[in-house]
Amino acid sequence: MRSFDKSTRLDPALVPLWVGLWGFLGLFVLYPLVRLIYIVFTTDGGVSLINLIKVLMSWYNRKAFFNSLALATAVSTTGTFIGFLFAFAVTRIPLPQPVKWFLGAVVVLPFVSPPFTSSIALTMVLGPNGLLLKLLHAPDFNIYGFWGTWIAETLTYFPVAFLTLTAVLKAIDPNLEDAAMSMGNTSWGTFRTVTLPLSIPGLANAFLLLFGSSLADFSTPLVMAGHSFPVLTTQAYLQITGMYDIQGGATISFILLVPALLVYLLQHYWVEQRSYVTITGKAGAPSVVKGGRFFAEALILTIISAITLFIIFLYSIIFLGSLMKVWGIDNSFTLENYVYVFTVGWEAVKDTVLIAIISTFIGSAIGVTTGYLINRKDLPWRKTLEFMSLLNYVLPGTVVGIAYAVAFNSGPIVLTGTMSIIVALCVSRYDATGIRATIASLQQIDPSIEEASLSLGASRFTTFFRVTLPLIMPAVTTGMRYLFVVSMTAVSATIFLVSVRWSLLTIRILECITELLFAQAAAFSVVLVLIVFFAIGAIAVLFHIIYPNYYRQLRRL
Amino acid sequence: MKKNGVMGKVVTLAILGTILLSSIATAAQPELNAYTIWSERYAQAIFSAFTKDTGIKVNWMRFSSGEVQARLEAERKNPQVDVVFGNMAEAFVNGIPKGLFEPYKPQGAERIPDAFKDTDGYWTGVAIDPICFMFNTRFLKDHNVGAPTSWQDLLRPEYKSQLQMADARTSGTAMYRILSIIEAMGEDKAYVYQKKLNDNVQIYTKSGAGGALPIARGQAAGGIFFLVDALEMQQKGYDVTISYPKEGVVAGIEAMALVKGAKSPDLAKKFLDWASTERMQRIYEGSQINLIPSNPDVKISNPGLDMSTVNVLPLDIKWAGDNRDRLVERWINEVLR
Repeated sequence: MRSFDKSTRLDPALVPLWVGLWGFLGLFVLYPLVRLIYIVFTTDGGVSLINLIKVLMSWYNRKAFFNSLALATAVSTTGTFIGFLFAFAVTRIPLPQPVKWFLGAVVVLPFVSPPFTSSIALTMVLGPNGLLLKLLHAPDFNIYGFWGTWIAETLTYFPVAFLTLTAVLKAIDPNLEDAAMSMGNTSWGTFRTVTLPLSIPGLANAFLLLFGSSLADFSTPLVMAGHSFPVLTTQAYLQITGMYDIQGGATISFILLVPALLVYLLQHYWVEQRSYVTITGKAGAPSVVKGGRFFAEALILTIISAITLFIIFLYSIIFLGSLMKVWGIDNSFTLENYVYVFTVGWEAVKDTVLIAIISTFIGSAIGVTTGYLINRKDLPWRKTLEFMSLLNYVLPGTVVGIAYAVAFNSGPIVLTGTMSIIVALCVSRYDATGIRATIASLQQIDPSIEEASLSLGASRFTTFFRVTLPLIMPAVTTGMRYLFVVSMTAVSATIFLVSVRWSLLTIRILECITELLFAQAAAFSVVLVLIVFFAIGAIAVLFHIIYPNYYRQLRRL
Repeated sequence: MKKNGVMGKVVTLAILGTILLSSIATAAQPELNAYTIWSERYAQAIFSAFTKDTGIKVNWMRFSSGEVQARLEAERKNPQVDVVFGNMAEAFVNGIPKGLFEPYKPQGAERIPDAFKDTDGYWTGVAIDPICFMFNTRFLKDHNVGAPTSWQDLLRPEYKSQLQMADARTSGTAMYRILSIIEAMGEDKAYVYQKKLNDNVQIYTKSGAGGALPIARGQAAGGIFFLVDALEMQQKGYDVTISYPKEGVVAGIEAMALVKGAKSPDLAKKFLDWASTERMQRIYEGSQINLIPSNPDVKISNPGLDMSTVNVLPLDIKWAGDNRDRLVERWINEVLR
């Protein structure tokens, strides 16, 4: 690996690319952050720690700090576990193709639907007087607090783990598992000694992504956590929107940086120190994917079926709600909520789709480039670049949003009220998945494949587009899908950036919920989910058009 | 090697494109830009009537009271809107020393009583909205209790973990709930009372109206709301009972103001003039907006808005605005703990 890196060390063609990336990150990550830190560490123009001390003195904020950590740990543990079960089922258990497709579609539902709607559906099902509790004659329990937030966040974020881990498990050469089996290993042994260790970078990435998501999530706790279980993001948000205190809110979220960065560094060094090369180009023809033993498979299928059914139940409530006149009172069928979406809400639908499409294309170009340069090229400060490229993701959305609002409202670059500020935020904040997926899948691809192409006389450009890119295509499309989805559903950061000219669907949904227009909110959500599914399909089609030979090429390797 | 440069150009172009798109978006004709905390249906009715009357297009967004304030503060050096319509009066009072607003006394505001507008003209009240109790009628029947008519009634054991009300940190409703309790029993007693009340609270919601639907649907027994939200639930067909404490409640003043540094101050003033007229406040009843007009010339026929039998306590808006942060801090430290 090292020799390959050194050969391209001083490639001058990479300089403009490298400078461009730094320019982007400098402008949209570093600059707002500096402005934010300036707000946190100054009082009346002078440098001081008063803001930080004030925040740390509050018992409520300290409680929120520990709650945030506990919640993020719980959510990333359960989320990664469930995500892995689903990914394993899809990639290793011989299920019929339509079932796999169906599972994939259902699983992404909580992730692609705006967080407020799923939380509200959850309170209707498991909350006081909840539908499911009544159905099962279970006693009421207070869902508001840790339990509700944990369940809702796990449901919302385990699809991230599922998508990441599916890509990773798919990339593991089944020949290795075959080899282990043919050497007399049991399927559990094979799983433990081959599949699981090879999934570790994926698992660690999933854990990191989930931990970050949970730490940064404010919308779920806002609906589910209530006053008994404060977390830092809601504290920051409430401080800003409730106490009109941007400085205090910025300071609270600044504290969030510490655990977020710590987890990032831990994961980073843990994964970095191991080699996970499995696509070596030296393997023979892959054989049929082998599953585990019957009992293990049955157990996994039972668990994922139960979760899938629960999600379907949750979302049928939202769907039904969108088709009813007055939920719970007048349950007659109506389409007027959809008429509302396509008349009053049309601007928001249009704006959101446009912003998501632009963000996806710009973001995936930047994401793949970043991931590729970080993993394959020994450029100066690449560790710093990698860290910077993930920073906006690690930071809670509320903070990034406020930092943007402060930074781009005055000074040399004024972007408030424009579409570019939202696009820049989506790209710089949600690129992380694409970058991490690209790096993770590059880690599994032996550079000798690229070396072979180069030594056969192909240009670096051809090698990248004909060899590397096709191999990491699952990671690229994962990144694209993720970018599109989160650009469609982002709330915490964009809530401060939407303007009278550019509005977003999720903000409209939040407003509908605040205004008790549940049916309209539900209709908005249904439309949003349909758009996202359509887009995911479109991305898949696009991918097949660009790389019609992708699977054939893979098989030839 | 050159080919790698192509990729560089693609990325650079993408970044440039992002920045360029902004200049396209900012080039717009003069239109009035406004923030409001009124619910969409209400705001739509008001702003489209203004457009119909004057031909001026309005771009507007709806946010909660605190969010409007936070945005105004963040955008202070480059205001994005010209007018704030319908925020709570105490929020305007809070924003005056921060330099968020510009004084302007609208033509037509002469008929609005002094209690409902700022003496310096920083804000003008357009509607009055008292605090009330709203309970699920079936819950009351099932538990064989009457609608609460006193603040003490809310401490009944039947309501243990059954009340939903707004979080003081985000909601104007919550602020007026606290102010009501303070006016009714004095500040220190009010906090002792709220600590007890806390035992009966299931969740504090972000927005003032947030708890209304759960109550209407029977997920919670009841709570404390602005009358406008409670009447809205009845209008939608939910069976909820509205009542008032005999010790009294305060009423919120919904006001409007000119934003300091507004890009189109002339349009803004035109709007403020228009919105102070009788004509504007008549829209409330026509559009089923359950607010009490601040202009005494506008007659109301909805019995739900008749305050003659309700003990409405006087409120010092200036004091409320100046003490808001302190009262919320106290709420966090004494009630939530």
